[in-house]
Amino acid sequence: MSDLKNKRIITAALTGAWPKKENNPNVPMTPSEIADDVYAAWKEGAAIAHLHMRDDEGNGTMDHLKFAETLRLIKERYPECDIILNLTTSGDIYATDDTRVLHVKELKPEMASYDCGSMNWLNFGLFLNSPKFLEDCGRIFKENNVKPEIECFDPGMIGNAAYYLKKGVLEGPLHFQFCMGCANGIPGSLKNLLFMKETADQLIGKGNYTWSAFGVGHSAMEVMYAAIALGGSIRVGMEDNVMYSKGVLAESNAQLIARAARVIREYGCEPATPDEARQILGLKK
Amino acid sequence: MSWGPNFMYYHCPSCGKKFKFQQDMIPELGDDFGRCPDCGEMGVFEHDGARTLDDNEYFEVE
Repeated sequence: MSDLKNKRIITAALTGAWPKKENNPNVPMTPSEIADDVYAAWKEGAAIAHLHMRDDEGNGTMDHLKFAETLRLIKERYPECDIILNLTTSGDIYATDDTRVLHVKELKPEMASYDCGSMNWLNFGLFLNSPKFLEDCGRIFKENNVKPEIECFDPGMIGNAAYYLKKGVLEGPLHFQFCMGCANGIPGSLKNLLFMKETADQLIGKGNYTWSAFGVGHSAMEVMYAAIALGGSIRVGMEDNVMYSKGVLAESNAQLIARAARVIREYGCEPATPDEARQILGLKK
Repeated sequence: MSWGPNFMYYHCPSCGKKFKFQQDMIPELGDDFGRCPDCGEMGVFEHDGARTLDDNEYFEVE
């Protein structure tokens, strides 16, 4: 296999919990639309698909049947697609702790998100990830051989991850997703991304983790370029940004991923294939 | 999960201009955050939320 040090993982975050057709008519919402977008993302170079589901009204849901249906459609329609599936555990801030992990226990994906702390949500709600939930989640992930994608919206959450690593709730090497520029989290910028990475170096230790990053809104491109230059991987997709550029709606998730792949290549690296990403992350298929 | 950029929407009490700022521009803009880009008056906060397709009447200040 070619040199993995030159490979950068593209995570495609296709749907998320917030954008609706009124924000961008091209955002996939149904299991069928999401399955098709997963395949399109894979074709453009994404190694990981981070999946959220929506209910029939288009709101974020943790309905395990929606997740199951989407995975079934991907497998049925695109059997050659070997993309790593990364299921959210945070698709609905009103979901119970049990419903947030039911699909993980049933479907046993290769990866799932692990939001490593609590915060205000869009200035009107609470995004709660209690210590009990994080400990239970960590245990469930280990029991089901699921690698956590540790989402950190501020440096304190990296500290939380360090605690859970030392306690044995999480197993190294860890994989972080630095979420930059979300309201109530750390603002998105090169300087702040560097701070997040240096915090991880200090608390987790260089070489003991892998990382990816994305910025929302105006910081999207700055964080993308900075992450690649700093040796990290990147996440793109309409979960985080519905615009392709200022005043221009994204035509599709595939368009966003194609750009990410182009940026990686022009930097002198290559997008990792799913199997290369599995090696980098230590996944067992 | 992320929730995309949060925008804060204002109108100017002096000239009536409508404008919006992405919330995480606060560190970069400092005291200028919330001010009318035309006349410099502090804007009147209307609401905040995700960008919508029909919010083009609000000038995006960057």
